[in-house]
Amino acid sequence: MKRILVIDDAATVRLYHRSILEELGFEVSEAVNGLEALERVAEGDFDLYLVDINMPKLDGYGFLRELRGKDMPQAPAIMVSTEAGANDQKLAFLSGANLYIVKPVRPERLASHVLTLLGMTSNGRGAPS
Amino acid sequence: MTQARMISDEDFRKFREFFYRKTGMLFEDSKRYFVDKRLLERMDATDSESFRAYFTMVRFQASGEELQTLINAMTVNETYFFREEYQFRCLVDSMLEEIVTHTRQQRALRIWSVPSSSGEEPYGIAIYLLEHWPRLDDWDIEIVSSDIDTEILNQARRGRYTHRSIQNLPPSLLAKYFRRDGDHYLIDQELREAVDFTRVNVSDAADMRRHRHFDIIFCRNLLIYFDDLSRKQTAESFYDALNPGGFICLGHSESMSRISSLFRVRKFPEAIVYQKPWEAR
Amino acid sequence: MALKKPAPTAPSSDDERRLARDLPGLLSALAAADPLARRWAARDLAAHPNASRALVDRLRIETEPSVSQVILTTLTRLGDEIAVAGLTECLRSEDAMLRNAAIEAMKQLPDEVAPVMEQLLKDDDPDVRIFAVDVLESLRHPRVEEWLIRVIAEDPHVNVCATAVDLLGEVGSERAVPTLHALKARFVDEPYIQFAADLALKRIAQG
Ligand SMILES: C[S@@+](CC[C@H](N)C(=O)[O-])C[C@H]1O[C@@H](n2cnc3c(N)ncnc32)[C@H](O)[C@@H]1O
Repeated sequence: MKRILVIDDAATVRLYHRSILEELGFEVSEAVNGLEALERVAEGDFDLYLVDINMPKLDGYGFLRELRGKDMPQAPAIMVSTEAGANDQKLAFLSGANLYIVKPVRPERLASHVLTLLGMTSNGRGAPS
Repeated sequence: MTQARMISDEDFRKFREFFYRKTGMLFEDSKRYFVDKRLLERMDATDSESFRAYFTMVRFQASGEELQTLINAMTVNETYFFREEYQFRCLVDSMLEEIVTHTRQQRALRIWSVPSSSGEEPYGIAIYLLEHWPRLDDWDIEIVSSDIDTEILNQARRGRYTHRSIQNLPPSLLAKYFRRDGDHYLIDQELREAVDFTRVNVSDAADMRRHRHFDIIFCRNLLIYFDDLSRKQTAESFYDALNPGGFICLGHSESMSRISSLFRVRKFPEAIVYQKPWEAR
Repeated sequence: MALKKPAPTAPSSDDERRLARDLPGLLSALAAADPLARRWAARDLAAHPNASRALVDRLRIETEPSVSQVILTTLTRLGDEIAVAGLTECLRSEDAMLRNAAIEAMKQLPDEVAPVMEQLLKDDDPDVRIFAVDVLESLRHPRVEEWLIRVIAEDPHVNVCATAVDLLGEVGSERAVPTLHALKARFVDEPYIQFAADLALKRIAQG
């Protein structure tokens, strides 16, 4: 089963993302900030990261920069932002994000992005393994 | 007969704030009974008329003696030998190896056990190094052991332990490093002499400044008694007590990722620890 | 080579404390070239009630993150009006690390932040309003619920409301119920708002 790490300091947002992703058959882990996410990464591998930008201790950019600097197999990351600002978007890609989406997140959009990034079909056939 | 002494809600709040400012320890409302009991005992012992009189003495006594006695009474000193032993394994197999590889000049490596409580932790580290770190033939290691509680430090210096403390030690090590003393176990003179004991309040900048150039800090089961701000402040002081590349080990229920972003998470086969970056300035 | 007794660590003397904590000395150390000296100065300034202005000024130009962190800790300790104003200013910083650290610091200062909160919640920049709601998260203050209710009733920006609903799920009471329903009606096409508001309503119903 593919594993996804959801990183956000808001409990409700983590729950929301979890419910969408579990519906699709993924295994979901959570972290409340970038540092805790790095601890999770140290404990085990993930197939995809869903990363909030503004978080205490270590924000989403900082997390991705640390992650991308690690000598390990790299999984895709989706940056989730509250702002559509061009500057944020640029920073997100420079930090190592593969995709940038703006809150509020719609379940069907998130699902199709995740499935695409993981190289799975997003047309409802072929359940994720 | 003295009149019944009492501690009002207001007294409790005032005391809690004062004690927190001094030590970083924050008592929740649920600890009210624990705190009141000890305050009343000390008020009795010092013949104080009222909480107010006692509190004034604690704050303004020039020698600070009563404050220290009160601190000694308020601390939770629970500890034992080889608590969370996997971190000691990590010390010899991973952390020290990395430091030694990065260290060009021959120098003593320094380890700080803070808080050390009655000494089981620093002595345990010493025993572990003697038993499991072959490079001890090539390198000097210094161990400093500190606590805010002066009474428990004296106990640590004596090195005399109950059965409860040594339960986790393999019998061979007990036989090798301890001597029976009635119901107690007395640790080797040599080990006692190898450790330096100091009184440290981690919330006091001046105390912290005197403790520098460490390669590894064990700070286990202290921050659980602190609030977020004191935790952050303590972590920041540790940052300056460490050499670049130095490590911090926390207790198993404590995580730096909720405290401070100054350190890097390091995953070793034995444990997750936190590191001051090698390039840190 | 072996276990070696360290040279004894001398206890700190009162003299040293006084010397190290003398205000003019610390203020000049705050501008020292060595970041270690700056961190020590920032740390020791916690003992000086009048140090906030100098710390805020330094924070604006400080480039070493470890020093900024210590300055923020000390400002939180001092927690006076100048410190709070300095922290508030950081909410507008381009530096995400600094912004988030300032939010964290402000969360620890409920009484001090309360007077500026109304203003922040009315700020023109939705990002600043989101940060202000973030600050409310662990602010133990009697008016938190009232502020949150007003945000979800009036704020036009969906993400500001989204952040506020998250919190209402934790601190909300019966009082918030009608406004939560109104919010659901206002953002009927936003699945996240529906999800978060339903969750808040459920939690409130469970007491
Ligand atoms: C539970 S013991 C931990 C002992 C050992 N590190 C372990 O993990 O087993 C906690 C110790 O923290 C000490 N302590 C509490 N506040 C302190 C402070 N501000 N500075 C230094 N030590 C403190 C207490 O005196 C007590 O001995």
